[in-house]
Amino acid sequence: MNLSIDVTKNDGVANVMLGGEVDAFTAPQLKETLLPLTKEQDVVEVNLQDVNYMDSTGLGVFISALKATKEHDSTLRLIHMQDRVYRLFKITGLTEIMNIDSTVQGGM
Amino acid sequence: MDFQSCVNIQKEWDIVGARQLGRDISRKIGFGTVDQARIATAISELARNIYLYAGTGKVCFETLEDMNKKGIRIVAMDEGPGIQDISQVMEDGFTTSGGLGAGLPGVKRLMDEFDIISHVGEGTEIKVVKWLR
Amino acid sequence: MSTLKLDLENYKELLQEYITTKDEQALYQAEQFSKHSMQQNISPEEIINVHIQSLQEIYPDMPEYIQTSMNFLLETMISYGLAYQEYQTLREKQLELKSEISVAANMQKTLLSTVKPDIDELDVGALSVPAKQMNGDYHHFVHDNKGGLGIAVADVIGKGVPAALCMSMIKYSMDSFSEMQTDPSVILGSLNRVVERNVDASMFITMFYGLYNNNNHTFTYASAGHEPGFYYHKDKDEFEEIDAPGLVLGVSPEITYTQYEKQVEKGDMIVLLTDGVTECRTGDRFIEQEEVLHVIKQYSHLPAQGIVDQVYKHFERLQDFHLRDDFTLIILRRNV
Repeated sequence: MNLSIDVTKNDGVANVMLGGEVDAFTAPQLKETLLPLTKEQDVVEVNLQDVNYMDSTGLGVFISALKATKEHDSTLRLIHMQDRVYRLFKITGLTEIMNIDSTVQGGM
Repeated sequence: MDFQSCVNIQKEWDIVGARQLGRDISRKIGFGTVDQARIATAISELARNIYLYAGTGKVCFETLEDMNKKGIRIVAMDEGPGIQDISQVMEDGFTTSGGLGAGLPGVKRLMDEFDIISHVGEGTEIKVVKWLR
Repeated sequence: MSTLKLDLENYKELLQEYITTKDEQALYQAEQFSKHSMQQNISPEEIINVHIQSLQEIYPDMPEYIQTSMNFLLETMISYGLAYQEYQTLREKQLELKSEISVAANMQKTLLSTVKPDIDELDVGALSVPAKQMNGDYHHFVHDNKGGLGIAVADVIGKGVPAALCMSMIKYSMDSFSEMQTDPSVILGSLNRVVERNVDASMFITMFYGLYNNNNHTFTYASAGHEPGFYYHKDKDEFEEIDAPGLVLGVSPEITYTQYEKQVEKGDMIVLLTDGVTECRTGDRFIEQEEVLHVIKQYSHLPAQGIVDQVYKHFERLQDFHLRDDFTLIILRRNV
């Protein structure tokens, strides 16, 4: 149960590459990375192609990141989400208010 | 207060000097090996706190002689940043020095009496006493 | 100190016995001695001191370097002794916390307790089991004055104490709503504003709210991002997902919830749950929805409460009797 976080910054855009699982153990670490980025960058793009599991604590991190972008007038974009993770955003209604790339990756 | 002897703490090496002087005094008072070791450990903690958080300060010793008991009083004084939340540093499990020090709760356990006065921006004074049994 | 003095004699004898016999018996007694010392809160340096004193008495001509080396050992043990005492204090504190939490858990139970309705028209089964001491799931039944039964199922993000505190807040707000206003969309809308104002940015709550009308057997519902429930058609022996899109509570203040309605036929079932049921993990595998439905079907001949209990037993066993998330399952079945 690990999460790798790789951040590359380029001209006001931060690309955050995640790999592994976002759960109660790894969420604080993700939050610590994500929230400052919403303040210092214009666009924060999170690539979730290698995230195979996320629980509600993980969702909470993205919700607070979304709220932070509104405060700092920046943009949050989630791309390449796997099926299982996408389902979670769909059920909770977040797909309606978040910028999520619709080209969903096949699960597994 | 009139102290018999003090050790100035400025560098890590001074912690050893304070231990040595404290041990000599305790031995003269008549403390056994275990208590000597405990007193020395308490001095280490007090002196290290000064060295780490205040930079400089001093540790002073006083022989106590009551009608029916003898003991040692150690006073650690500095003019460092002071401690904001004393209750917190006196709590077990709260160590700022990476968990390796016994911390102030440890000092309190090693000694019989413990008193601390601290003002933020002015400094800290810790007085401890060990009685001979 | 007096007990220690007594033990010195004891220790000296044991040591002497062992030195002459090298007998296991003496070692066993040494083990007893050490356990006894721990009970008396005797720290390691004191034991070493007893050892030194015993040696001195047994060997009055003990070489000085041994004496010195033993003192050296004693000195190094002081910090271990302190760490041990600290550990003891922390352990006591932990017990204290544990008992405080169990008091809080009981308070929560009382606060959130809800009475399973007993109505002729509807067979109701409900079960909610926390993964830890405090439950972050919540379900509640309310009767209104027009022959309706309101059912709320909610799940707070995370588990444990923070989730439970948040749940208590929801319960209080719901109690304060007027009995006249039982429209699911209105209730979710009002709760959303309460949660949005009062909880941390990363905290959110999902809730499904349904209203069963006993007069005409319609089920009106709305969902705030809650795990979809299922509708069981008795005639077709099929399940259908109860799809009710809506945003979770506490994210955006300006949100309205759409309300849906369904006609319930005799023998049909409404299955409401939290993601603790569908997100059960067994080893590396997740339990899929189909499996939940399969188990429900398997026991569908039982009364609603019986089905709920059997589903719980099934998943409890799958997870080696160690729940990872709070588990809540409610089944409503139209009787007549």
